[in-house]
Amino acid sequence: MFLHVERGSSVPISRQIIEQVRSQCLSGVLAAGTKLPSVRELAQQLTVNVNTVFRVYERLAAEGLIELRHGDGTYVTHRQGQTHTQLKVQQEKFQREFEALIQQGAMLGFTASKLRSMLSAAFTAAKKSQE
Amino acid sequence: MNEIAVSVRHVRKSFGKHHVLEDVSFEIPTGQTWALLGRNGVGKTTLIQSLLGLMPVDAGGIQIAGCDPFKQPLELRRRVGYLAEDQSMYGWMTAMELCRFLQPFYPSWNPQLAERYLQRFEIPRHTRISRLSKGQSVKLGLVVALAHAPLVAILDDPALGLDSVSRKEFNRELVEHLQAEGRTVIYSSHLLAEVEAIADQVAILDRGRIVRQGATETLREEVQRVVLPLEFVCRHPAPAGLLDVQRLGEQVEVVIDGISRFLGQLSSQGISFSMTEMTLDDIFEAFVIGRPGRWSQIAADAGSISATSC
Repeated sequence: MFLHVERGSSVPISRQIIEQVRSQCLSGVLAAGTKLPSVRELAQQLTVNVNTVFRVYERLAAEGLIELRHGDGTYVTHRQGQTHTQLKVQQEKFQREFEALIQQGAMLGFTASKLRSMLSAAFTAAKKSQE
Repeated sequence: MNEIAVSVRHVRKSFGKHHVLEDVSFEIPTGQTWALLGRNGVGKTTLIQSLLGLMPVDAGGIQIAGCDPFKQPLELRRRVGYLAEDQSMYGWMTAMELCRFLQPFYPSWNPQLAERYLQRFEIPRHTRISRLSKGQSVKLGLVVALAHAPLVAILDDPALGLDSVSRKEFNRELVEHLQAEGRTVIYSSHLLAEVEAIADQVAILDRGRIVRQGATETLREEVQRVVLPLEFVCRHPAPAGLLDVQRLGEQVEVVIDGISRFLGQLSSQGISFSMTEMTLDDIFEAFVIGRPGRWSQIAADAGSISATSC
């Protein structure tokens, strides 16, 4: 599972992790039935407080996205129907945030072509780090 | 899990006329990582040294890992590991000699653990301590603070003197071993972005008191920044929990602790506002250098300059 935690961001760390795991579950990047790292492993991997990761998993389990099987591990759940709507909600939210960001960029004086080249560079970097 | 590992009640300490700790109280549940934040010279080290019984206090009570540090100094050293801010060690010994020297003092000293830390922190075993770099000797200090597997580890600014790679190693060690094994960790730091990822709770020490303590996430939910029309300042007294206020033209930016009540007040009066999220750094600054007293000044200035906005 690929996650990127940004330290010193104004978005709390737990929310960063929740949003990234959620998007990956909903979009199918993390397929149903995939086993996720244990709380301890993920805490180690991200160098994040163990209890924070625990709360993240609890929250995602409450949303029905993952399943904590006692003594076995944590798995991405099999869901029908609602995944599509949830994904759509997340994508719409992303689109609004993206538009707000572009607006901010325009106010800072970036031209359309500059923004386009920033976008493709960022997209390439994101693809690369996911591999 | 709900046991209390560290309890500090109304601790006071003065040096002459200078009151360093005015009235410090807090509790740390077993297994939590508790970060002590404060500006330089605010008394972090004094507080830490009194927790260890190294610095007598003028009043108040301290219990740590079930010990009274002033009455059970030996037992305390067995149960608590300590890394001092300016750790000094016998310069003529090597790392291995230091470990062999310390081992008999601690019944629970774990040579394998010491060995693993030496390896992980890449500390040369047979070089005299006086020849080690600053970073290496900080890491050696950590090794000897942790090798007896203490119930409570107290680390006075462990990040000081470590480069970013070693800090990462250290943080990983902290998460992987100390936290996962349920040990209690107290550490002071000035690197707030790192603290946020690691700590369960943060406490801000300022003007001799713990001015705020809370889970990092709760703190960020409860303390927020709001931008309001200037006229709000003229028409209302300073709100409860105001930490800082700043005028931005015809608007004011306020930082409020206990945001939900304040937002309730705003929406019941139909006042438009916008909110921005704050980093832990911003929150810390608001507590220690925020100037809530400017409220009335801003109100007065706005009133005298433009009668329209107020």
